Amino acid sequence: MFIRARLLATAAVAAFALTTAPLSAETPPDTFIQAWAIDDMITLDPAEVFEFTASEIIGNSYETIIGYDVNDVSNIFGRVAESWELSEDGKTMSFTVRQGKKFASGNDLTAEDVVYSLVRAVKLDKSPAFILGQFGLTPDNVDEKIVQTGDHSFTFEMDKAYAPTFLLYCLTATVAAVVDKDLVQSNEVDGDWGYNWLKTNYAGSGPFTIREWRANEAVVMERNDNWDGETPAMARAIYRHIPEAATERLLLEQGDIDIARKLLPEEIEALSQNPDIKIQSGVKGTIFYLGLNQKNENLAKPEVREAMKWLVDYDAIAETLVKGMKKKHQTFLPEGFLGALDENPYSFDPAKAKELLAAAGLPDGFTVTMDTRNTPEVTSIAQAIQQTMAEAGIRIEIIPGDGGQTLEKYRARTHDIYIGQWGPDYQDPHTNATFAQNPDNSDDAASKPLAWRNAWEIPELTAKADAAVLERDTDKRAEMYREMQREVLETSPFVIMFQESEVVAMRKNVEGYIIGPSFNDNSFRAVTK
Amino acid sequence: MTRTEWLLSEQPASRRQARLGQAYRTWLALKANRLAMVGLTLVLALIAVALLAPWIAPYDPIVGGDLRTDRLQPPSWEHPMGTDDLARDIFSRVIHGARLTLMVVVLVAVIATPIGLAIGTTAGYFGGWIDTVLMRATDIFLAFPRLILALAFVAALGPGIENAIIAIALTSWPPYARLARAETLTIRDSDFINAARLQGASSLRILWGHVTPLCLSSVVVRVTLDMAGIILTAAGLGFLGLGAQPPQPEWGAMIAGGRRFIIDYWWVATMPGLAIFAVSLGFNLLGDGLRDVLDPKARK
Repeated sequence: MFIRARLLATAAVAAFALTTAPLSAETPPDTFIQAWAIDDMITLDPAEVFEFTASEIIGNSYETIIGYDVNDVSNIFGRVAESWELSEDGKTMSFTVRQGKKFASGNDLTAEDVVYSLVRAVKLDKSPAFILGQFGLTPDNVDEKIVQTGDHSFTFEMDKAYAPTFLLYCLTATVAAVVDKDLVQSNEVDGDWGYNWLKTNYAGSGPFTIREWRANEAVVMERNDNWDGETPAMARAIYRHIPEAATERLLLEQGDIDIARKLLPEEIEALSQNPDIKIQSGVKGTIFYLGLNQKNENLAKPEVREAMKWLVDYDAIAETLVKGMKKKHQTFLPEGFLGALDENPYSFDPAKAKELLAAAGLPDGFTVTMDTRNTPEVTSIAQAIQQTMAEAGIRIEIIPGDGGQTLEKYRARTHDIYIGQWGPDYQDPHTNATFAQNPDNSDDAASKPLAWRNAWEIPELTAKADAAVLERDTDKRAEMYREMQREVLETSPFVIMFQESEVVAMRKNVEGYIIGPSFNDNSFRAVTK
Repeated sequence: MTRTEWLLSEQPASRRQARLGQAYRTWLALKANRLAMVGLTLVLALIAVALLAPWIAPYDPIVGGDLRTDRLQPPSWEHPMGTDDLARDIFSRVIHGARLTLMVVVLVAVIATPIGLAIGTTAGYFGGWIDTVLMRATDIFLAFPRLILALAFVAALGPGIENAIIAIALTSWPPYARLARAETLTIRDSDFINAARLQGASSLRILWGHVTPLCLSSVVVRVTLDMAGIILTAAGLGFLGLGAQPPQPEWGAMIAGGRRFIIDYWWVATMPGLAIFAVSLGFNLLGDGLRDVLDPKARK
């Protein structure tokens, strides 16, 4: 008896140490617990956040100037802004800020805070600052371009008359989240705009506040009682860092977590048989593609580029390896975007590809390398492509590396073929014009869009992309993007294959979880259980 | 006189007869050890499978079947070990993987053993500052856990099976050097060595002709015993994505690929695991048996 008791005690201590959660099979009724991999987080400052996890946390704890309906992205509404008006020359947008809003700290949210947040983001000049920089804002001129005109009004001046929706979509990005000026300034050290403090702290007005972030362990959020929307049912929301899919599945089955978010198709399939668990999915804007470097003389041949588009078994991969997580999609604008074209002309056809290769003077094929991120999903897709390409004689050598290594090579355009994802930065189609825009193809170009990374020289298409972002008539603009997509589909060195979905599994009693088109739209403020 | 009698003769008439007789006695002793024979069989089976892989394997190890119908199939008559997530026959992959494993083992043995022997015998024979320098270098290598050091080398050289072999070889010679030095120390002042030296034999000649052969048996035993460790290190590197690269059917990489499916599709990771287990066990049993027959001090 004594031995058994000691064993039990040891087991209990071990279990506690492993999970750091109470041993009860259920999560507390007012706490929402999510399992995700949060190792990509480097900061909580909206002016710097550009990572999936952190942008989702910002989306749930801060408010952006403009918002959109997650089910219909074209439906734009003001979040912090109440209304806006464009000047006649199309270069200045005047915003009115909602009255009576408060930050979680109790401070009032006014136009002063909004202007401060935008100026701060431009002056700090971190990775997402380019989203605002596109309108001609630089750290030197931003003080004159974004000006407070009243307690609840300010103006935003652009260098060109861009399509108004382009500006509005850019103001839905996390870089346009409003921070609490007084609170941030009180933590400023040596004119750093509170950067070091906000990295790990919170100064927002959204439905939840960020209480704690323990790197690679957990993020703890609490309900914000000052939020002016409908009060969330959950008093606390916790992200737990559980990167292994199999572990997430076991925890979800035991009821130790409410929702598992890093599952693979096999786990999803197994969990869908479980009566206590339900599956929810939402389409994301992320595109999965191959980039063929035009510096490689074989890949630069137009027939070879087309042949490779006929050598991917899109349907078989979508139905098996990435079932439910990705669907076939071949145009550069994801479904749901303005002007997105729903055409998938390519399928697996080795005979046709062989003809094209013969026309290119390569009837026996050629050997080429492919830089592949060594995650199970990307590796398995790469191997499936390797097999189908081999049927027409294209011999691919897979060069594995971690995400950083492969991206570094891609950005320096020293790859042959790159396989990976592209996620839109905001919901305006211009964000994906990176596939069709290459103003300067020299090695030391200032702007390095995806077309540059693959050394694809396209002066005409670039001119079209530049014109499309200035077109103020929405229908005409959509048509321009459709035209560009057709051209990219036919001639580009991009084998665009899939659009991604996010699939999560949750306990049966969880209701109201929202999966939006980008990560900062994922929301749990309406969750009940 | 039958051939057996000639071999076992107490008064060999020639050097050749003595040598062959000694080898035959060793073989008899080894044959009497049943576990060693099991090990020998497993090792010979590995070699046979590796040599005959293209004829034994029923399917292509790299090109899979139809993703829609042949994926993650459980073991059956058609696929004795099932299929993996890319619809490839696991049995064929395990068989072709034997080639990679054998290649790793042989190349590491060929690279590491001479390095270890040369350094160990030189250090032991000359002593003094040569001994100090060589043994401190050996100590540095021994101070790191083997897999970690191999990881560091592969990280520096870049992933790939060739680099994995070099990395493993670079990390496995120190124990042989130590062993060879210890053996050399016990014999370097023997009368026959001194006799050779007095006759004017050069150091190189003594090392090569007299010291090395005497160290060889214990080093061979040690190498055989280490084979299992080498296989495991190679598999570990493959598992971590730093050894053989996809789509090569390396056993460790296959386990890594199957780890995702372990709950629902156990065979994907289990089959290559069993292969690693069998081959490691084979080398260990054979190594134990060889030690019993080759170590003169342990002889009854």
